[in-house]
Amino acid sequence: MSSKGAQQTTASRAAWQSSWSWSITGRLTVLYTCSALAILVLSTIFLYWVLVSNVAKGGEQFLSDKIHVLRMILRERPNNPEALEEEVKWEGTALHFARYDARIVDADGHILTETPGMSAMLPAEVFPAPSGVAEELGDGLEWRSPDRRTYLLRAAWAEVGRFSGTPRLLQVALDVSQADELLHDYRRKLALVLFVGTACAAGAGAAVARQGMHPLRAITEAAQRITPTRLRERIDPARWPKELTILATAFDEMLTRLEDSFTRLAQFAADLAHELRTPINNLMGEAEVVLSRARPPHEYRQVLESSLEEYARLSQMIDSLLFLARADSAEARIERSQFDAVQAIEAVREFHEAVAEEQGVEVTCHGKAVVNTDPMLFRRAVSNLLSNALQYTSRGGRVSIAVEQTADHAVDVRVSDTGSGIDSAHLPRIFDRFYRADRARSPHASGTGLGLAIVKSIMTLHNGTITIQIEPAKGTTVTLRFPLRH
Amino acid sequence: MRLLIVEDEQKTAAYLHKGLSENGFVVDVTDRGEEGLCLARTGEYDLVILDVMLPERDSWSVIAEIRRSGKQTPVLFLTARDAVQDRVKGLELGADDYLVKPFAFSELLARVRSILRRGPARQPELLRIVDLEIDLLRHKATRGGTRLDLTPKEFALLSLLARRTGEVFSRTLIAEQVWDMNFCSDTNVVDVAVRRLRGKVDDSFPTKLIQTVRGVGYVLEGRSADNSL
Repeated sequence: MSSKGAQQTTASRAAWQSSWSWSITGRLTVLYTCSALAILVLSTIFLYWVLVSNVAKGGEQFLSDKIHVLRMILRERPNNPEALEEEVKWEGTALHFARYDARIVDADGHILTETPGMSAMLPAEVFPAPSGVAEELGDGLEWRSPDRRTYLLRAAWAEVGRFSGTPRLLQVALDVSQADELLHDYRRKLALVLFVGTACAAGAGAAVARQGMHPLRAITEAAQRITPTRLRERIDPARWPKELTILATAFDEMLTRLEDSFTRLAQFAADLAHELRTPINNLMGEAEVVLSRARPPHEYRQVLESSLEEYARLSQMIDSLLFLARADSAEARIERSQFDAVQAIEAVREFHEAVAEEQGVEVTCHGKAVVNTDPMLFRRAVSNLLSNALQYTSRGGRVSIAVEQTADHAVDVRVSDTGSGIDSAHLPRIFDRFYRADRARSPHASGTGLGLAIVKSIMTLHNGTITIQIEPAKGTTVTLRFPLRH
Repeated sequence: MRLLIVEDEQKTAAYLHKGLSENGFVVDVTDRGEEGLCLARTGEYDLVILDVMLPERDSWSVIAEIRRSGKQTPVLFLTARDAVQDRVKGLELGADDYLVKPFAFSELLARVRSILRRGPARQPELLRIVDLEIDLLRHKATRGGTRLDLTPKEFALLSLLARRTGEVFSRTLIAEQVWDMNFCSDTNVVDVAVRRLRGKVDDSFPTKLIQTVRGVGYVLEGRSADNSL
């Protein structure tokens, strides 16, 4: 129950992850868009800042120029009120882009002259503290009038005539509402630029990403073309961009391995059918012939006995195949224990002693090592190898089994014979099920042709290896390597 | 000796019935687990042979029920599945032995006899078959008064056959008992070993004791060759 629940959780999490895992195209598009947006935002902020500071500087500059002009008039031409009047009253209205106001106040606070209508909009109190006669001009003040217009204000003292003592207060104002509107408009346009630019960047990003991903789609299509019946097809690594070459190569290698096991599997099925066909054919034929007419009892008996022999062979084959199938399955387990390898090999040697003596082959065993393996499987592996070696060694030959502890924590069991050896052409398939090196010579050689396949399986179960060395005319050596730790 | 066979495969049931009857057992057969359980609980059987895959009722529960009812009747499992877990499960539930299909009838017979023999069986020290004498204590064998020169394994093989005269031993069983090689092997090792033993035990005597049962195995018998199973 709880495991079921856990499974469901895992399943839903997987679904959740897959629904939220973006395609590479999507990710690239988002990344492109974000970086384009960042660049656009930074550059518009910079441009806007430049504009704002330029506008502000222009207003300030204009007002300080005006103060200079008024001071000049008051100082140089104190007795020429028309010039002052002209400057104060009409200059401001002559500006076509913005309104400019000026006011001259005496030391007691009486307005001497001002641009018409100025008092109504710009009372004297809103102006900043004036700068002294000899002082640098101070900063202007931005002021928002009740009727929502923005003014830049400045005030300064001015001398009247070269030697007269009574100074005048100058108050000048520039209506910068228009500049504000300009900036406001500019902001709107920048936002539009940002929006459109980002949208364009997203579109371009998507197009570029799609274009960039094209090889991946192509390689997927190439992979989809490969089916069990078309395992020969390959994704040629040379066709692809550098980044995909590794993938294509790995994929091709995997296909080669798959093709190999497919071929082996097909071969195995064919061999299995062949191996079954022969004994079943014998059984059917013998029974049919003997039943076709009345016969003396001993003939029936003979057929039944022959059938029993075939059955025994079939049953043994099933046992071996089941063993191999179990060894192949993932849950195959082995019971390890520590034991003296030489003792176990001696036992196997004793088992085969009668056959060896009959064949006039001497079997020796030497070395010293303790192995940590499944004792039954260990014996079975050695027994199969010894049986093979005896089969290929002629009278007067020798089979020697050497046990050796190697430097890298493994135990080698080496079975060498002085037999005719196997043609090296058979080597690649020698561990295949039902494969017999001498099939052509003696199709009914003893054994099921599963001996070496079983040894290989046993070694795989132990994480060990099996290697075969053939020296023509000298003999064959099979080495089993059992790692001590797994 | 009464045996109960619970097996739904008709052919298997038939040949088991025939073979075991001919070997001196009284045999009842049923093809249903429910009926088998009923018989096993009420009848006095010395052994139950139980197929693992039964229709209606699976044999695990049959065994469990038999044991729950307090019956200690030995049970021998027959199974077509060769999974280790199955064996362990069967043995844990109280089965006494198991056989994986396909098996040789001689193998089944040997197992049945071995289960029934369990318990207070005293090993004789001296075996005598016709003029063959085997002294199990001194590891000495003589025939017609002549000492036979046997290797230890040959002695073990001879005493295995002699201890149960008339019983047919399969090659697998011989390899297991004499050499402790409990795996089926492609080789004709056992045949060669028996041939050599024969050379020492039988060749110079008119009465041949070790006989081949073709397709099955070997048997040691005093009476003249009657190869019927």
